[in-house]
Amino acid sequence: MMEYIELHCHSNFSLLDGASHPETLVEQAARLGMSALALTDHDAVYGVVRFVQAARQHGIKAILGAELTLADGAHLTLLVENATGWRSLCHLISLARHNAPKGEASLPYDILADHTEGLIALSGCRQGEMARALRRDDQTGAIAAARRYYDLFGSEHFWIELQHHLLPEDNELVTGLARLARDLRLGYVATNNVHYATRADHRLQDVLVCIRHNTTIEQSAHLRRPNSEYYLKPAQRMAPLFAAYPGALANTLHIAERCDFELQAGLQDLPCFPTPPGMDSATYLRHLCQVGLNRRYAETATDILARLDYELAVIQRAGLANYFLIVWDLVHFARASGIRCQGRGSAANSLVAYLLDITPVDPLALDLVFERFLSDERQMAPDIDIDFQADRREEVIQYVYEKYGADHTGMACTFVTFRARSALRDVGKALGLPLHLVDQSARVLDTHQAGRITDSPRLQEMLGESSRTAPWRQAITLCREIDDFPRHLSIHNGGMIITGPPLAERVPTEPATMPGRVVVQWDKDSLEDAGLVKIDLLGLRMLSAIAEALDLIEVSTGQRPDLDGLCFDDSVVYDLISQADTIGVFQVESRAQSQMQPLFQPRGLADLVVAISLIRPGPIQGNMVHPYLRRRLGNESVTYPDPRLEGALAETLGVILFQEQVLKVARDLAGFSAGQGELLRRALGSKHAGAALEKLHAAFVAGAEAQGVSAVTAERIFEALRAFGCYSFPKSHAAAFAVLVYQSAWLKRYYPAALYAALLNHQPMGFWSPAVLAGDARRHGIPVLPVDVARSEVRCTVENGGVRLGLLYVKGLGETGAARLVDTRQSQTFVDLTDLCRRTQLPPRLVEHLILAGALDSWGIPRRKLLWTLGKLHYPVDTLALDFADDGVRLPLLSTLEKLSLEQELLGLFPGVHLLELYRPWLVEHGMSSSVDIKNSAPNDSVRVVGLLVVHQAPPTAKGFHFLTLEDEYGLMDVIVRPNLYRSFARVLHTAGILAVRGVIQRSGAVINVLAGHVAAVLLPDETAQLDAKGAD
Amino acid sequence: MTYLWPDGLPIQVESDEQGAPLCFTWEGTHKVDNIANRWRVDDDWWRGRVWREYFKLTTDTGLLVILFRDVLSGDWFLQRLYD
Repeated sequence: MMEYIELHCHSNFSLLDGASHPETLVEQAARLGMSALALTDHDAVYGVVRFVQAARQHGIKAILGAELTLADGAHLTLLVENATGWRSLCHLISLARHNAPKGEASLPYDILADHTEGLIALSGCRQGEMARALRRDDQTGAIAAARRYYDLFGSEHFWIELQHHLLPEDNELVTGLARLARDLRLGYVATNNVHYATRADHRLQDVLVCIRHNTTIEQSAHLRRPNSEYYLKPAQRMAPLFAAYPGALANTLHIAERCDFELQAGLQDLPCFPTPPGMDSATYLRHLCQVGLNRRYAETATDILARLDYELAVIQRAGLANYFLIVWDLVHFARASGIRCQGRGSAANSLVAYLLDITPVDPLALDLVFERFLSDERQMAPDIDIDFQADRREEVIQYVYEKYGADHTGMACTFVTFRARSALRDVGKALGLPLHLVDQSARVLDTHQAGRITDSPRLQEMLGESSRTAPWRQAITLCREIDDFPRHLSIHNGGMIITGPPLAERVPTEPATMPGRVVVQWDKDSLEDAGLVKIDLLGLRMLSAIAEALDLIEVSTGQRPDLDGLCFDDSVVYDLISQADTIGVFQVESRAQSQMQPLFQPRGLADLVVAISLIRPGPIQGNMVHPYLRRRLGNESVTYPDPRLEGALAETLGVILFQEQVLKVARDLAGFSAGQGELLRRALGSKHAGAALEKLHAAFVAGAEAQGVSAVTAERIFEALRAFGCYSFPKSHAAAFAVLVYQSAWLKRYYPAALYAALLNHQPMGFWSPAVLAGDARRHGIPVLPVDVARSEVRCTVENGGVRLGLLYVKGLGETGAARLVDTRQSQTFVDLTDLCRRTQLPPRLVEHLILAGALDSWGIPRRKLLWTLGKLHYPVDTLALDFADDGVRLPLLSTLEKLSLEQELLGLFPGVHLLELYRPWLVEHGMSSSVDIKNSAPNDSVRVVGLLVVHQAPPTAKGFHFLTLEDEYGLMDVIVRPNLYRSFARVLHTAGILAVRGVIQRSGAVINVLAGHVAAVLLPDETAQLDAKGAD
Repeated sequence: MTYLWPDGLPIQVESDEQGAPLCFTWEGTHKVDNIANRWRVDDDWWRGRVWREYFKLTTDTGLLVILFRDVLSGDWFLQRLYD
């Protein structure tokens, strides 16, 4: 029987060109009985790791390669023959990418000559140099080009590629190419330049081409392929096309056999970290740990020493001492430069990491298991992720670049993929649907996954009858198909790769948007699977806020608290969290977290670890939150789905909370090894696991049955694991975050003004808006003082126990404007508006903002009067100061509502009084309750409340329920909106700023929700505002 | 002179196992002498798919014609006659 192997195949990692996932192509190749398949994406190996894994899964050979773009736009197909070939390919792709604008590639011919070793070249598609010459009837040019490649690669490594797609000119082209091969005694080989797995996918390919060229399907005939022949064809379909060319198909097998390269996962060659004379990396690491031991522990118990010895031994056996030194050095640099940082993730499982100050978590105190981080069985370099204060992370990245050199340093890439909205927008546009409708439809989608767009009732509702017309149905079908396709490349936020040998030998690199930065062609998953360790240098704004809060405390009190020396045992701090007084506190401030705290009543760091792990999609989807809480409160007894799981789940009262527990459950129930367990954990969290997960599923059930567990129980537990997914924290990660919870809560308890000021300086961050933070400050007796050109600094500061808003809060002023005001003020305070304008020369628009934001109120001149004066001013050169006769004009004062709405617009918050405070008598008159009133109401009481809508959430786990938070002058109110009510009031809920809700009270202990029965927008009547003489001007 | 039927003129065709025409009827019967070219078009799927296999051929009666087979229906059409 005739056999054929496809050697020229594009996946959707030929961005906006290939129309199938690498996995789909592999599945189809396997279905067609191909024993191998090549992946040759355009100037990229983005999809290679996924491709290799899928091929392994289906038992077919993965041939790696790429279609390279040369300097004049000609294409050349390259296949990797051996390890040298892989290095050559990586070099060539990198050089081509760095020689072209971002997203493009262009390789000069003379460079190609230097890196041909280990590669098999095929002459390419219609854009290949020889095909191009023949198409313009340039026989001589075709021969010259073929000779050149022959000289570069040698006759055994250069093949003429024959492609026949049943296009009118293909017969002639194939004849010409075959003649060329014969004349030059070159081999020829058939390929199909595959762009999609099956014929039906050609529609999506057409749409991708339109998206790439930003055009519509009707206008793109010249850009699209004329037919649907670019699919993965079996031998019997290819054979008739090449009947006249014996050997064209057989040669595919011959070439495939010669390609003998397997992408090996293995330890990367890290740069060698310099150690002091006489010490190798292991000795130096031990020395540093010893120093840490003396600092961290008053006395070193034997269990600590034993653990240290054990960890160091494992680290040494894995050859990772050098790796730890590199990470230690980064952290050391940051600390020495005053940059706050702390490791997150599994590093917290390691005592060595604790002693090196990489993590703030004592693994012994929290019973964290080292094997989750590193074990003899799992000899992969562990990921170490470090959070740095966001505003100074760049300094650390620069340090790495300088220390190890640009050729040895790169950032992981990440793929921005099509989600529901982007898919509908792009596909709709390509199909030529009315743009305004496409845009509106994209906005009302209530799913993020393009694959679930049909399920969107809101879309059906919006489009009405048209949703059933052919173009919309096609658009929706295509959106489903394009789901999760990579759309473009982006830089991973902080994932750095460092190698000893040049990086380009391991994986191709390409330029990033930021000058001087390069990204590697693999994202974090591919890097991990290929055994390249990335070190995540992440930016965390909470660390910036904590750092600044400490600075502010030092400035205002002369003392700097030793935040890193806290013992996590202050009951007052836990009281604060238990009372849900958590606005501004890391993680536990969110609505869901703060609602849980009064029930949870955390009393120690271990409790905080559990608390922040509970409110995660995994535990929520797995329905583990309420059972856990009931068990914690003693309202339900602790049971286990199977007695064998007691060991794994005892610490979390029988429910699965932490990622690590997946491994333990798999081990105890199904006898999985740690390695298998790790595979399972990753498959549960991967969107592309499909078949791999099902294999593990079968192994899990079989393993459990072998241990005497019934199939029903095994299935039930596996389903629980599946629901749990990996949308959960590893315990170690939660532990590192718990430290920040404690530290920020401690600051809120003891130095609230400094914390509020710092939080306001690092927006956007956390869960709440600046307006809510300011309101919370006021309710804690911390005045939020308005922006004042005489007193405000650029940033918010602490002033007499209150928070003085910084000039940066005035809209449009920016760093430059704010700094100019402060600098100019230093020589002499501003005496009046003329003085301020002349000396700062700020544009009148910005001065207007200062006036309306109240920043000039301290002069005692009404704001409208100041505006009037500003209109008359001519500056910077004031030579035409005319005396206006209308200076005595009487201007109406701004009403309080006008003032407040201008402040809200220009500052994003109300510095003085809360808007609703002014309207309270009016609200009382209309029977509205406040957030204080409802605290005293009983379950099922009917209430009517009014507040500013500060949070609107509809988490995917909530099955259509929406959660609102309303704020009034006394605090926050939580409102639950049922799916059917939401459907009736969606417009109001999305447009109203102030909301009136009628509903009934639901209580659970101190946690109160209003279950809405009706909602309406509130328009505050200006004339009824309670204008007091002080408030208005 | 060339006759052109933009949407094709329905005709009766006999074809071989590979789908290539052997003879057709249009103002008499014509046996296919030589197929000069064969190509496919698959387009316009968003409006109503046009999926056709074209044949440019000569006949024993001395005609040079372009025929196409609608791949979806299997029906044959005469599109062009070079005179």
